[in-house]
Amino acid sequence: MQNILEIKNLCKKYDNFELKDVSFSLPKGAIMGFIGENGAGKTTTIKAILDIIKYQGEITIFGLDNRQYDREIKEDIGVVLDDMFFPEIITPNDISYSLMSIYKNWDSKLFNDYLKEFELLPNKQIKTFSKGMRKKLEIAVALSHHPKLLILDEPTSGLDPIARNEIIDIFQKYIENEECSILLSSHITTDLEHIADYITFINNGQILLSKTKDELLDKYGIVKCSEKEFKNMAKGDYLKYRKNKYGYEVLVEDKRAFKKKYNSEVIDKMTLDDLMVLMIKGAE
Amino acid sequence: MIGFIKKDLAVIKSNFKLIALLIVVYSIMGFSGEMDFSFILPFMAVMIMMSSFSYDSYNKWDAYAVTLPDGRKNGVRSKYVTTLLFILIMAIITMILSIGMAITKGVGVNMEMILLTHLGTIFGTLLVLIFLYPIIYKFGLERARVGIFIVVFGIVIIGGLVSKVVDLSNIFDFLSFLENYWVIAIILTAVIMTYTSYRIALSIQMKKEF
Repeated sequence: MQNILEIKNLCKKYDNFELKDVSFSLPKGAIMGFIGENGAGKTTTIKAILDIIKYQGEITIFGLDNRQYDREIKEDIGVVLDDMFFPEIITPNDISYSLMSIYKNWDSKLFNDYLKEFELLPNKQIKTFSKGMRKKLEIAVALSHHPKLLILDEPTSGLDPIARNEIIDIFQKYIENEECSILLSSHITTDLEHIADYITFINNGQILLSKTKDELLDKYGIVKCSEKEFKNMAKGDYLKYRKNKYGYEVLVEDKRAFKKKYNSEVIDKMTLDDLMVLMIKGAE
Repeated sequence: MIGFIKKDLAVIKSNFKLIALLIVVYSIMGFSGEMDFSFILPFMAVMIMMSSFSYDSYNKWDAYAVTLPDGRKNGVRSKYVTTLLFILIMAIITMILSIGMAITKGVGVNMEMILLTHLGTIFGTLLVLIFLYPIIYKFGLERARVGIFIVVFGIVIIGGLVSKVVDLSNIFDFLSFLENYWVIAIILTAVIMTYTSYRIALSIQMKKEF
């Protein structure tokens, strides 16, 4: 499968934070959920992809080096970034009028269709919109030049469940075109469980895992057991564990193999939230 | 670049009523002889553009603009072009008002004088842009506001010192060879200085991280 985005050995050093050898790839036609706690490096990685910051390493988008082919690549990318947008004093109509001279493929009709769908008034100043409405406007802008890749940093944050659902439907409709892909960073992991094909998990500037969602949710599991049962487990048979007042929660990479070996009865299906909590807070 | 200019014009359009009101007030004051408005309106053009920087900064537009095709380059270029256009428009308005005032007061229209005054005004206003814009791109608007005072204060202090230490008549003698060409010399100097300022601002923006 052809990759639309490839990141190899991405490094970026700040005084108090470092991205260390970040590598992953996003296949064409797929949605990748990019997860991690606050300050883990999601936004820094996205900024590097967009060439907003200087970095070491190699990033290719549509097979092209992102620093060398900046203009060509950005014609085909739609972005939603956390708290970065047009000045709030202008209107959606002004935005459309500006972007028609910036993007070769800007589609004013499509933009107006999104405005209608999201119930956003084209002549109202952005500052009069609620946070949710602003996010919808940002998404409408990101989609209206027919991009091949959407890069979305927390696009559904601040939205109520109905609005989130509408937006997720739009992402799913967008991805029906197999030429298109989405990199979606989000804290709302339930949304990712619905739509993501791949999950990439970053913690403390390092990629902990990058796998298909089905592999993660189908293979990984959480064993709930007593202290005695836990102490019988071999160290290599689990990834992380956490002790709570009812006993132990143990994250295992292959729940079927584990069940076979330990004849364990209680292996719960894992959610992405469980994965994040155990991978970050759990002990080895 | 056109798209970026459109965006700046959209920001300015939102304050159009205030701008129009200021133009009218300054014009009335100029007509009544309360003040010389030849410098006010072109200088206001730079101030209006400063407010567009302010809105940009509040919504982190600069960072967003970098995600657009040729965003770094066109963002800077459009600011310079829009400001120059505004200075020119304001200078033309002031010039028309000056002619109107001369006719109304029946003092006769001295076109040469009016043109020279406004050329000086445009050059003076450009100096603010030339020094200020690279500072805005390097340090941000807040620090640039301090910068504007430092630049103006610096020019006044240096000018004062130079005039005391150096005999200005020597400089005028030295420049006397420009006698018939000094209008061209001023225009050429303004073009070179503005272009240099643009290149510096662009170079800062191209290296900037967001």
